Amino acid sequence: MAHLTDEIASVLREEIVRYQSGIDVREVGRVLEVGDGIARVWGLSGVMAGEMVEFPGGIIGLAFNLEENSVGVIILGDYLKVTEGDEVKSTGRLLSVPVGDAVIGRVLDPLGNPLDGKGPVVTELRRPVETLAPGVAERSPVREPMQTGIKAVDAMTPIGRGQRELIIGDRKTGKTAIGIDAIINQKNSGVKCFYVAVGQKDSSVAVAIDTLRKYGAMDYTTVIVSGASTAAPLQYIAPYSGTAMAEHFMYNGQHALIVYDDLSKQATAYRQLSLLMRRPPGREAYPGDVFYAHSRLLERSAKLSKELGGGSLTSLPIIETLEGEVSAYIPTNVISITDGQIYLQPDLFFAGQRPAMNAGISVSRVGGAAQTKAMKKVSGGLRLDLASFRELEAFAQLGTDLDAATQQRLDRGYRMVELLKQGQYAPMESADQVMSIYAGTRGHLDEVKREEVADWEKGFLTFVRDQMPELRERIVSSNEVDAETERQLEAAIAEFKRQRAAASAATPRQTAAAR
Amino acid sequence: MSMQHHPKSEKRHVDIDVDRVAKIYAQAVVEAADAASCRREVLAELGSLAREVLPKVPQAEAVFSSPKVSAEEKAAMIDKIAKGRLLPTTVHALHVLARHGRLGILAPIVDAAECLADELDGRKQATFTTAMPLDTTEQERIVGELERTVKSPLTPSFVVDPSIIGGLIVRIGDTIYDQSVATSLARLGGRLQQRNIHAIQNREYSWHT
Repeated sequence: MAHLTDEIASVLREEIVRYQSGIDVREVGRVLEVGDGIARVWGLSGVMAGEMVEFPGGIIGLAFNLEENSVGVIILGDYLKVTEGDEVKSTGRLLSVPVGDAVIGRVLDPLGNPLDGKGPVVTELRRPVETLAPGVAERSPVREPMQTGIKAVDAMTPIGRGQRELIIGDRKTGKTAIGIDAIINQKNSGVKCFYVAVGQKDSSVAVAIDTLRKYGAMDYTTVIVSGASTAAPLQYIAPYSGTAMAEHFMYNGQHALIVYDDLSKQATAYRQLSLLMRRPPGREAYPGDVFYAHSRLLERSAKLSKELGGGSLTSLPIIETLEGEVSAYIPTNVISITDGQIYLQPDLFFAGQRPAMNAGISVSRVGGAAQTKAMKKVSGGLRLDLASFRELEAFAQLGTDLDAATQQRLDRGYRMVELLKQGQYAPMESADQVMSIYAGTRGHLDEVKREEVADWEKGFLTFVRDQMPELRERIVSSNEVDAETERQLEAAIAEFKRQRAAASAATPRQTAAAR
Repeated sequence: MSMQHHPKSEKRHVDIDVDRVAKIYAQAVVEAADAASCRREVLAELGSLAREVLPKVPQAEAVFSSPKVSAEEKAAMIDKIAKGRLLPTTVHALHVLARHGRLGILAPIVDAAECLADELDGRKQATFTTAMPLDTTEQERIVGELERTVKSPLTPSFVVDPSIIGGLIVRIGDTIYDQSVATSLARLGGRLQQRNIHAIQNREYSWHT
């Protein structure tokens, strides 16, 4: 014990010797009124817009509104502990969050404080929450694919590294599932993932974290949580702080993926703040700068030029629509900012087509540039074919007499729809996707019964893995489907069909019983 | 910056709207006094009226701020109190306030006017907080020292607050220069805590070796 006291005493002595008493210079103001996560402060005449201020007890605020006689401050913390008359200090700094490898695998709040009970985030690295997006000269075109592992997305609306692809749809249409699947699929790709949960029920966030953990995705993922019960200021800054953490990897030549779930809740939080701050309301009572709030956030996703290391930040913002109303204010804003959207429809979802992607209005403006050559070759025109199939299907319901060509297009369409169905948390590797879409688009499934398509696909992929691994290897290594690969694929399909027919002929009763 | 405030208003409840109105009248009073080249005298008279006379007669403030009392009655009262005793500019200023129903905020107007006058003179208002009362020579020394540092004349006021333990806190405008013992101790404590948290996190030393 004596030893312990000595050691403590020596540390104390050392610290006091080193202590230089400087004058503490600070600018101060006084809280005039406080409530609903905002405070009006009198004084602070030299404070800058967006500067961090400090309330007693270390609670942090952001100077949000600079007025003639007062400063409007949003409180990032427990605003119930701030009272009228409290002294507010300006800090001369901007809000920043911890970044780097220390945040990977953690569940954090928007200020970078841990929520997972795994101790503090030990790092010296910090990055300001609000930074300027890289300019034109600092970017290079988006070319590398960001595989989501979802057939429908990778084939029809490919996402490139550095792209911003909006996921939009009504409630309960599988928006989050696409984001989570995309994160799970990054397992061996070296892409760092960030999942920003804004205004979500804490129970659904817990489920998402649990899923990520179960599929081993938490090893390379950071979750930033600002649930429905947290104050609006924290919900408002959560996407920016998540982006700051992701940007760190981009500027260090690495690749990052960020999912904002969801930005409509963030817009609502921002609307609340703006109205409380008495900024004039505009359309749907959102403030005039809500477009800027989203554009400056999403512009930070980029593919950097080679000189800057060639890192990238891909973002998947999520927007929830009401009753399929895409022409509401926030959805149109975000649609116009992003480089494409994946539109999920409730009727498709309930018809069993999952992911419930509407091929007609889902687009990716980067397009084929962000696809592997193999995928580009096999899936070319698939999206338009599927869209025209939907029209034809609606038309075909009117009459029964169809010519053979139309019937054939319908059959092909039905099979493609079946083929693009995919279970949740079951991302597929690119080579597998190429092979099954090849089989579908080249018409090899036309004679397969509709309800047997999924089974056929599963069997075919297992067959190639087991009996023709060199073909799969060829596609994986070359990432291309040349004439030779095509010949081998045709041969493989023919062989698989022969074996399948033989198997069903040998045990017809068993197959029937199993079904 | 116009957000400076007079030390005498420190205890007053801050009302931004009153503040804004007061500034407008204050500017008018100062400019009118300047035109008659008697700024100092007018401000002194208004100051003594607001801070010495009115607090002694609590009913007077109620009468002045009441909308029930008509402007004419207020004007008659002002004439009775002030005519002959105060400068004509001061009396006019009071009449204008009475006519506009702003006599109730005389104190904030005087505060704002003094602020403005200081600003026009290039003076700054400074509040000195110490743990013990200072005598006059000490006060003069500190003010003189600080005036040289900030390179501008100061209008000082002094506050005694034993909770700062020792040292001195100077407030000029919204900026606080704090070299009190209490703040230094708090900073030292914070740094010790930070350093040790950091050391423990990085496993720099363990207590049981």
